[in-house]
Amino acid sequence: MSSQDDRARQQLIDLAAEFYDQFDRGKVPEMTLPTRTKSNIEYDEESGVWVYGDRTSTRSANSVRGARKLLKATYTIEFLARQLEEGRSSTLRELYYLSESWDSDEAAFSDQDESNQLIEDLEIVSEVTREDFHMRPEESGATLMGPLELREQTRRGEREIHCQKDVGEGGYQIPNNPDSIDFLDHDIEFILCVETGGMRDRLVENGFDTDHNALIVHLKGQPARATRRITKRLHDELDAPVVVFTDGDPWSYRIYGSVAYGSIKSAHLSEYLATPEADFIGIQPEDIVEYDLPTDPLADSDVNALESELDDPRFMTDYWQEQIELQLDIGKKAEQQALASRGLDFVTDEYLPERLGEMGVI
Amino acid sequence: MTSFQSTLGDDGGIAEELAENQRAISIAEFFEKNKHMLGFDSGARGLVTAVKEAVDNALDATEEAGIAPDIYVEIAEAGDYYRLVVEDNGPGITKEQIPRVFGKLLYGSRFHAREQSRGQQGIGISAAVLYSQLTSGKPAKTTSRTRGSADAQYFELVVDTDTNEPEIRSEQPTSWDRPHGTRIELEMEANMRARTQLHDYIKHTAVVNPHARVELREPGLDEPLKFERGTDRLPAETEEIRPHPHGVELGTLLKMLEATESYSVSGFLQSEFTRVGTKTATKVCDRFRDRHHGREMAWKTPEPGDDEGVEGEVVDAVANKSAEATDWFAARVAGTVRDRERLAHSDLVELVGNLADATEAEFDETFGDTVRGNAVDAAWAELTRADLLVRSLYERIDDATSTRKDDATKRGLAERLADKFAEADGHRHRVTRDGFTDYVDRSADRVAEATDAAFGDTARENVIETCWSVMRTVPDDLPKVSVIADDRDTASELLEAMRATDILAPPTDCLSPITADLVEAGLRKEFDADFYAAATRDAEVHGGDPFIVEAGIAYGGEMDSDGSVDVMRFANRVPLVYQRGACAITDVVKRIGWRNYGLDQPGGSGLPSGPAVVMVHVASTNVPFTSESKDAVANVPAIEDEVELAIREAARELKSYLNRRQSLEKRRRKQDVLGRILPEMADKLAAVTGHERPNIDGALGRIMNNVLVERTVEDGTVTLAVRNHSERKETLDVTDIVTAEPTAVHNGASVVDLDDEWFVQWSPSVSAGETATLTYEVSEEATFDIDVEGVENEKLTVDT
Repeated sequence: MSSQDDRARQQLIDLAAEFYDQFDRGKVPEMTLPTRTKSNIEYDEESGVWVYGDRTSTRSANSVRGARKLLKATYTIEFLARQLEEGRSSTLRELYYLSESWDSDEAAFSDQDESNQLIEDLEIVSEVTREDFHMRPEESGATLMGPLELREQTRRGEREIHCQKDVGEGGYQIPNNPDSIDFLDHDIEFILCVETGGMRDRLVENGFDTDHNALIVHLKGQPARATRRITKRLHDELDAPVVVFTDGDPWSYRIYGSVAYGSIKSAHLSEYLATPEADFIGIQPEDIVEYDLPTDPLADSDVNALESELDDPRFMTDYWQEQIELQLDIGKKAEQQALASRGLDFVTDEYLPERLGEMGVI
Repeated sequence: MTSFQSTLGDDGGIAEELAENQRAISIAEFFEKNKHMLGFDSGARGLVTAVKEAVDNALDATEEAGIAPDIYVEIAEAGDYYRLVVEDNGPGITKEQIPRVFGKLLYGSRFHAREQSRGQQGIGISAAVLYSQLTSGKPAKTTSRTRGSADAQYFELVVDTDTNEPEIRSEQPTSWDRPHGTRIELEMEANMRARTQLHDYIKHTAVVNPHARVELREPGLDEPLKFERGTDRLPAETEEIRPHPHGVELGTLLKMLEATESYSVSGFLQSEFTRVGTKTATKVCDRFRDRHHGREMAWKTPEPGDDEGVEGEVVDAVANKSAEATDWFAARVAGTVRDRERLAHSDLVELVGNLADATEAEFDETFGDTVRGNAVDAAWAELTRADLLVRSLYERIDDATSTRKDDATKRGLAERLADKFAEADGHRHRVTRDGFTDYVDRSADRVAEATDAAFGDTARENVIETCWSVMRTVPDDLPKVSVIADDRDTASELLEAMRATDILAPPTDCLSPITADLVEAGLRKEFDADFYAAATRDAEVHGGDPFIVEAGIAYGGEMDSDGSVDVMRFANRVPLVYQRGACAITDVVKRIGWRNYGLDQPGGSGLPSGPAVVMVHVASTNVPFTSESKDAVANVPAIEDEVELAIREAARELKSYLNRRQSLEKRRRKQDVLGRILPEMADKLAAVTGHERPNIDGALGRIMNNVLVERTVEDGTVTLAVRNHSERKETLDVTDIVTAEPTAVHNGASVVDLDDEWFVQWSPSVSAGETATLTYEVSEEATFDIDVEGVENEKLTVDT
């Protein structure tokens, strides 16, 4: 067992010991966590990311609900401790199914959201990341493509990989724990994070990565932690600017938000995952107007999401307030691929260079 | 064309022919044709009614004699008929009375008494006798033995339906094993289809008469149904009361006027009615005067600027007296009149009379009736000059109407009203309120015609009210009682006066409520429920008859939880088993929102459902029933309101019980689940940390806000720790049963030795969050058994 695994395991056992002591002293076992809502995230000046504020909520065995949560936590602690001891790993989904086999009916998770949330709770109180518990998400699958050479620790030993020359059209698959990667060499001018697979393929086909020495990171919708972590590391270690290219709708702004500012659910890891310097390319609401893009009308849920973003502390900047107000005004949204209405090369030949120029990236 | 007249004439007088068929109908005959009115409309119903009448009588008789009732009811098949036997241990009936009690309708001791009792009209049992003789042709067989007599008296009786007199078929002394009591045996056409109602009646009787022992035998029962006594307390004896002035009708009043020995109205009121003393009698008399004589208008007296000639007119009117005396008298009359603000004719008569007396004393001259009369007439004529009357009325009208009323309209009305007074018979300006209303109406109509200005009902009402309030009740004598008794109209005026006077509610010692605790005892006795509540309201009055409403609720336990709750209705301790839908009590139960009280009520109105019974008892000197068969209480608002309040009072207790039960139930469920989860968690924690399983009782006790009792034994010292995790102070009884003799017992414990077992008992009070420590020592090995009382099981964790 590596020392890192040993530390993780010890942290978990300490947590169990705390519950044990509470029982032993006749106290009601409880676990205190920061409140994980939009209203309890604060901007941390020092790190430039959004982290949890001072408000906390307590999971206590005082109520049946709370007691069930603590029982599940205890069972999960035991499971994770054994997993670390045996040097194995499992997926979040496996944990959910595995709970069915536990000898207590009360300990089984009722859905995967519950088990995912519990793992996040344990990350917070034990100050150990999920990756260090050897817990993986189901599909990592996000990819990189660009002038980068790296070394990955794999089950079959170390591999050195160049993310253009050694990979196929699909690009380099980001592993679950990107901390196992060392960057060796690169010619990266900037890092372009792209929301949709279609746009990523268009950029690769049009040779945007080679033409501009861009590292294209495919976010695959809301980015997995590994994707955000590697983006953060690339930015910090290679000193390359990061830009995010998504659809022009409220959900995509949240994708940008989680890359740049951290997500509400994992604000405890913001420092580790968020890249506050990341910039938003578009599609901006103002692009919809300027390029007269084909649009869809905003649905009610879109309007609600936009209004909710207006009072999300992460979007409390003049830029975002202006863009969101504008979008509410025009009542329209557009996809990245709407740019194809101006021709297949429009995005690589005109839109991106123009936007990147405006932003001072190229 | 044939004339009708001639045809009639030809037949020799159809009226005479008809007259041959016209004859008196005996009361018995009448009821023979109207059996349903008395509850004998079918064989099934008739049997229940007969049982009911006999049992009611038995209960009334025993209670009146101060005997705890012991009643035996037997129904048996007898050929084509059913035989009903009802026996009681009452005081018995004398030989002379038996035939009339059982064989004459409308014979009884109750009808004239204002006192709560079950029977009232004296119809019930004789109607049952009549019903049995009509259906089976058999006489009623009665046996009665009075206390102390050697033998019982046996009769066979029928009612002579022509004369409504008892007809004795057979009579003889007989022996009977009961020392006193009455037995009646009736054979009648009947069936047992109303068995449910019969059982309900008997069971409900037992509920509201917890002091009675009742036994029922009938062919459908393998075992007799026995209802034992729940209390030895007999219902409080009731006092008979005189009628209340608000509760009599005109006919009754006329009868009372006829019968009274009083001479004056005031005396009559005080001696014949309850709650009437001198003061109240005077008030009633004044109101009677207002109605009988009318009031006199008191006019405003002339003002200084008026050219009034009271003094001169009086001087002129007084003839043949010395000038000094005349002037002295006239000056004083004028002066006194000026001092008064308003003056009615009777005031003037009194004033002149007094001054005439004074003048006589002063001048030694006689001022006789003629002189006085002349003086009054002269002064009155001066005081009631048309302009003065108009001004006086105008001022009143102006006061009573809104400022928007046109001045001319008001003046017009005042003028016309003044005319009415002037035109009226008699110069005393005396009028009843009805008469005055008529004045105002006619005058206002005229004014409206003349000026086109409407004078609405409210304005008229205000004018009448303001004028009436300044009018004077006259001092005239009231007619004597004997005169009123002969004059229906005057009697009606008296009745109105009685009703218009506020009079204290009648006393309630004529009522005998079951009382809340016995209502509860009755329910407890007959229903195996989890919860009982009862409420007795204070007495209220309806139409001069006081009444008391009581309600009780039993809930849960063994009661049937399907369908609607049972509603038990009682009037003067008699169960009402028929016509549920027509009864005011049922209506009230239906309109209460039972969901507020924790019972299901489909649709939010109507009978609630669930395992409950609701009982309501209305006790009154005169329960208003919807019909003579006394099956349903009539919809009298005053009674409905009290029924509702009584039920709500009991229902509030039910609600808090149900809330409490629900919270204990929740608590129990919580404890069950936590009792599963926390040990599993503790086991897992022990496995992960590699320690022994931690003790979770403390945490559990704290979570459940429980009281935790723990025992530790160390070197012969026994320590009981009582930890109170609840939010309030808990006082409990802790008894430790030890098999060795305890020593050094601390903390104020008592020790009782029982066959080598020692009961060590403490009663500690432990504040919220505190722990009490109780200790003692034992010298040898001992076993312990602890018993903790005073805290609900749900809130108690004993770990010993």
